[in-house]
Amino acid sequence: MKDNVKILIVDDDVDTVELLTKRFRAEGYGTSEAYDGEQALQKVKEYKPDLIILDIMMPKIDGYEASKRLKGYDKTKHIPIIMLSAKAKIPDKVKGLDFGADDYITKPFDYRELSQRVKYWVAVKVEVEDRLNKIRQLEKELIQSERLAAIGQTVASLAHYVKNILFGLKGGLYLANAAIKENDTDSLKSSWEILENNMGRISDLVLDLVEYSKEREPEYEKCSPNEIANEVCELMKESAKEYDIDIVRDFTLSTDETYLDPKGIHRCLLNLISNAIDACAFDVNEKEKWFIKVRTDFEDNDTVIFEVSDNGLGMGEEVKNRLFTSFFSTKEGKGTGLGLLNTKKIVKEHGGTINIKSQPGKGSTFTIRLPKKDFNG
Amino acid sequence: MKKILIVDDNPDVRKIVSKLIQVSGFKALIAKNGIEGMGIVKEDRPDLIILDVVMPKESGVRMYHELKTDDNFKDIPVIMLSGIPKKSFLKSQKVLDEFRGQSVPEPYAYMEKPEEPEELVGLMKEILG
Repeated sequence: MKDNVKILIVDDDVDTVELLTKRFRAEGYGTSEAYDGEQALQKVKEYKPDLIILDIMMPKIDGYEASKRLKGYDKTKHIPIIMLSAKAKIPDKVKGLDFGADDYITKPFDYRELSQRVKYWVAVKVEVEDRLNKIRQLEKELIQSERLAAIGQTVASLAHYVKNILFGLKGGLYLANAAIKENDTDSLKSSWEILENNMGRISDLVLDLVEYSKEREPEYEKCSPNEIANEVCELMKESAKEYDIDIVRDFTLSTDETYLDPKGIHRCLLNLISNAIDACAFDVNEKEKWFIKVRTDFEDNDTVIFEVSDNGLGMGEEVKNRLFTSFFSTKEGKGTGLGLLNTKKIVKEHGGTINIKSQPGKGSTFTIRLPKKDFNG
Repeated sequence: MKKILIVDDNPDVRKIVSKLIQVSGFKALIAKNGIEGMGIVKEDRPDLIILDVVMPKESGVRMYHELKTDDNFKDIPVIMLSGIPKKSFLKSQKVLDEFRGQSVPEPYAYMEKPEEPEELVGLMKEILG
């Protein structure tokens, strides 16, 4: 057991270092040495000792300071430190212990005493490490079970979403059959529409899942941010109108083009705007008018901004914190919980960031910042 | 002809259920949220209500509680048709019970989507037939 135990001896007095080295080695410990505080900190990193014998009065960094630093780092704080010093007054000892030393022995010392203390502190360290390992193991298991719970949630949330689609398919099929029996072409047409709608929702879901599961590089193309934003606004205008929501376009007047993955950004904006529509549609607060503002801008000449804000429902802290976690949806089976996950993923692949500001009852603002790329492509 | 009100924010569900109502021999009244739904209930009292839970403006949670605490309408049977589990719905009713100091009975039936269309038809006929 002692074979594996490594002691770092730190003292600016060469004789003390030599003496201790000889004695410890004779007992079967491994040793290394340092002659000032600075060297000691470096040696701890390289040698990874199990115990440190630390003098106080040394050049560069003294023993107090070295002890304080070692006890301040997660990686070294569990290494026992025995201070060995000629400073024999009670206040000196208290100061040493205050600076993190585990034990304090005054010079001149009796080697037999030091040896007993070393044995004791090595045993303590072994015990502490043992417990730390057990805690780490428990932590690992906890993370694993949380991950499994997250998968369970994912599956439940997806099942929920698919159930809604399935209702559309079953109903559509029932209506189509009835229409065929009655030879009713109009009814058959509207049944097909329902079937097509719900088939479309399945395709979208699968696309979202695929998008989420694969790592990919953005397909950069030269394009205009304003054009992408405008396209999405046009696309969402109708569904916004259904709930009396105005989509306001606040595009910076600039013909600047930049390199982005237009399809990816299109998808992000689609997600954000459709969320904003839901936030307004589900808002139960009395408001004169609901609106969604879509803003594009350049910031500091090297950042492209896309921003979608609404004056709808808003979010509390709890919802905000869970927004980008796995498959979280507040829409109870009417959303997949994938929209924001994918949005964040695409933004990240562009090397950008997404920020949220939100106030319950007042509305939310989602801001995407992408680095402007100017490479010749 | 007896009247059945369908309240759902999903246009496909409205289309499907109203067609099911018609083929079962009843008249369909249609609303896309709780506010519209309550308007129709007051104007054109239906004999049965089929109600979604999660909807914009006014949810089925609130509309159900409102119906069942109003002496004029509490006898109208309600079928809940929703993607969310019955347990969650009942829990939400309990919260409203406490908030409003009035408790409501469970709905006549609770159907979780996806429901076989035949089952919904059977239930409508059972209640109104």
